[in-house]
Parts: sequence; structure tokens; C-alpha cells
Amino acid sequence: MTRLGQGLALRPCTTPLLVTGTAVLRLADLPPPGRLPPSGAAVTVSMHGVANLLAALVALDGHAARMLLLAGDMPAAEVLRLAEAAGCDVLLSDRADLPGAIRPEAGHGAGPPGVTRATEWILASSGTTGLPKLIRHDLSGLSRSVRPLATGAPRPVWALGYEPTRFAGLQVLLQAVLGGGTLVAAEAGTGLAARLGLFTRAGCTHFSATPTLWRQILMHPAADGLKLRQITLGGEIADQPVLSALATRFPAARITHIYASTEAGVGFSVTDGREGFPAGLLEGGRLRIDEGRLWIRPAGPPPGSLGPMPLPMNEDGFIDTRDRVERRGDRVHFLGREGGGINVGGAKVQPEMVERAILMLPEVALVRVTGKRNPLSGAVIIAEVVPREPPEDQAGFRRLVIQHCRATLPPEAVPALIRLAPELAVNASGKLMRG
Amino acid sequence: MQAIILRVFAEIWREQYGTAPPVIELQAPLLDCGLDSLGFAVLVTRLELELGYDPFTLSDEVFYPRTMAEFVSFYEQNRPAD
Repeated sequence: MTRLGQGLALRPCTTPLLVTGTAVLRLADLPPPGRLPPSGAAVTVSMHGVANLLAALVALDGHAARMLLLAGDMPAAEVLRLAEAAGCDVLLSDRADLPGAIRPEAGHGAGPPGVTRATEWILASSGTTGLPKLIRHDLSGLSRSVRPLATGAPRPVWALGYEPTRFAGLQVLLQAVLGGGTLVAAEAGTGLAARLGLFTRAGCTHFSATPTLWRQILMHPAADGLKLRQITLGGEIADQPVLSALATRFPAARITHIYASTEAGVGFSVTDGREGFPAGLLEGGRLRIDEGRLWIRPAGPPPGSLGPMPLPMNEDGFIDTRDRVERRGDRVHFLGREGGGINVGGAKVQPEMVERAILMLPEVALVRVTGKRNPLSGAVIIAEVVPREPPEDQAGFRRLVIQHCRATLPPEAVPALIRLAPELAVNASGKLMRG
Repeated sequence: MQAIILRVFAEIWREQYGTAPPVIELQAPLLDCGLDSLGFAVLVTRLELELGYDPFTLSDEVFYPRTMAEFVSFYEQNRPAD
């Protein structure tokens, strides 16, 4: 068992480990992690600063029995609730709204000497509905896809495009620091133009982000200075427009899209510039299509989940991704989420929720909400609405529905377009026919 | 074309913010005008209803406009022949 700190000790000591908007840090410059809890403690970590997060990971891996990693902008009540669910009674944080936490500036106590132990890394799944699941990993599993720096190869400089405590963000963080490179991370709350400026000044060569963020980057002139050799898309399904546009805009870069989940780890990575994945990967024993959905068998020992919700795993050890797929010839394509969620700018929208909101209007008889593909946001919401009485002012009626949605729904769930329809098709059981 | 696009832009702006839309600098970064990428996705959807075409799906070339001038000229260049 190699600890994170031991892995980092192999790095050349002059290579910057982390570049932020305000500092360039080598390993020796990492801030003190605070007064360490006793060896074997179960610890929650929620940090605003990436340097503080990295320092905590180095100090705790091999020292704590368990660390629960939560985003620095997660609401405080949610942090406390998940900490309790994970049985973590010590909290390390640089946040002002978590008063009981051990703070980084509390001084560098080495802590009582303890044996080096295996540390559980607990990640919260993004949980599109209801409570996030808490998934148990360890460093060797999380760093399985880390590629070491080849002799003589230029040092990669990684731009961090994700929240670093999410699965995709940790992958980038570990690849950067254990792969002999440098991680470049903007302070929380930095706008896109300033982040792109930092990534350009820091000489980023590698950049991993969601397709949603890449679409915004493609629309931003501040990205013109980036000299990228590696572009990675993860966290959401990559579609052909964003892959093609990246290839045109950054012709020198290799473009990889990765399919991974907190529960199953990395499923595949594809570099041929086409959406979906080669059907040949289904022969490798780790990917399978069943009931029209993609299932993944984790590469290592199966991850565990804490709490009452078991992983959706079948008896062969395959985990249900709930992503619907279809094989067409030599390619497998993604069709959307089981349950019909629509991805609008990276946020999942349930059409039924939008329908319920619109049906609250007494002027509306029937409504059907669908997604429409859009190159700038992945998809937009379209609502077909049957009014109770044909409105005299159609534009005014549309405005009424939109204003009602604005007042009652999150921004991504507000329909981009209201189509007025005289009627909507229903099936034999009286349910709306969906696409 | 530019007038239609700016009119629909103003409509969406008023819907989202309830204020008068800003004066658009044609050469300034598109996302700096205050409307986010979701707002522009809405603009593309509304313009399809207004103009009868969506250049982003018609065009073989994948294009992400960076300024309002690029956005307008993309609509002009990909206008279907009558």
C-alpha cells in the first residue's frame, strides 16, 4: 500500500505541484493541514481552497481510517448530515460556516504517531434524484488510470475543470500530482474568462472538463491562448458537435472522452473523435448492454456503499449505469438517462416536474415536455401546451407560461419554447405519448 | 437579420431579468453580455421558430460563435435558399 504522500515524494522537488490564481506551490510549500486527528479517525474534509484540500489528502491518506470528501461549496447542513451518515466525527475545513471544524491555520501538529493504515476514500455520488450515495474507494483504485511520466516527456500541466472532490475532479488531481505534472486550479467562484486566463498564463497543456464547460470554452475568446496537447471530456456524455468543434479549434490536441461514474469507476476512454464507443469494447468483459442500458463491471474490487442504499449491482458484479444505449453497427450510442431526465447545460431536468408546474396554471389543459438537442447547452426544454380555451393573444399566453415557469422552476428547467397545440396524443391507458 | 436576432435577444433578456437589455457590442465576447450559454441556447431555439431554420443543425461545419458579429454572420451564411 503506497500512501499519497509517498507517491508525491517521488516527484522532482522543484516541479510546481499546484498553481492557483495567487500562488505557485511545490510539495514543500503545501499549507499545514491543521492539527491532525488521532490515527485511525474517521474524518470529513470540505475545503474551499484546493491547496488546503491537497494538504489534507496528503496528511490523512495512510493516517485516517476513513475520509469523506465533500465539495467546498456544499451547504453546511448537507455536510453535517453526510458526515453523520458516514460515521465521520472529525471535520477538517477552511470554511467559515462550519464552526466545529479543525482549521488549516490551527498549526502543523504531526499528530500522535500511528501505524500506516489503509484509508477509505468516501465520495458522494452526484445523486440526480434524492440523497447522494456514499461510495467507498481507496487510493490504489482511484489512481488506477494514472499514467506515469515517460522519461524525457514534457511535464504535463493540468487545468482543473471540475470540483476536485468529485470522481472526475479527483482523477485529474491524482493524474496531475502522481503523474509528475502540475495541477492548475482557480479559486472557487472565479469566472470563466479569468480561469481561462490563469490556465493560459500557467501554460496548461492538458485540460479535462465536462462537455457543458467545453461548449462555454468554445464560445469564449479567452480560450484562444490555450496551447493544449490533451483535451479530456468527462462527467457527462460527449456529443459529436462538441467533439468535432474541439478538433477544429485545437488541432494539435489529442481528444479523449471518458465514461466513468462514482459507483463503477472508469468504464472506458475513447480517442477516435466520434461520439459513443466502439462496440468491440463490449467483448472486453467489463461493459455489457442489458435491458437497453449500459452496465459496467469495476476494474478492481467492487466499491462499497455506506448507508442503506445498496449499489445497483447484479450477481455478476456489473453496475447499472442507468444510461440507455443502442448498438448501431460497430458503434454504441447513448440515448439518454433511464427515467427520461434531460441534460440542460449540465443540470438534469425531469420533464414530469416541468409538466406539473405548468399544469398548475388554470389556463392550461394538457402539457407535454420534451428535450431538443442544442449545440450550446446539450439540450433545451420544449413544452407543448394545450390551452383550456384558444387564447386571443397567443404571444401573451406563451409569456404567461414562461413567467410562471421562471417563478416556480430552476433556470435550466424553464422551457426555451412554448408550442401551442390543439391537442396531444394519449395512449390507450390515457397516458401522454412520449417521443 | 441582425435586427431580428437583436429583437429576439431583447425579448429573452426581458423575460430573464425583467430589465431593458444592454447595448450589444458586436465584437465583444458573446458570453460577456450578461446572457449565459443557456440563454443563447434559448435564443437559437426561438430564432428557429422565427426564421424557420437552425443553422447549427443545418451546417456541416460545427461552429461555436464567440461574438455577436460571428453569431449574426453564421445565420446569414447558412440561410437556406428559397
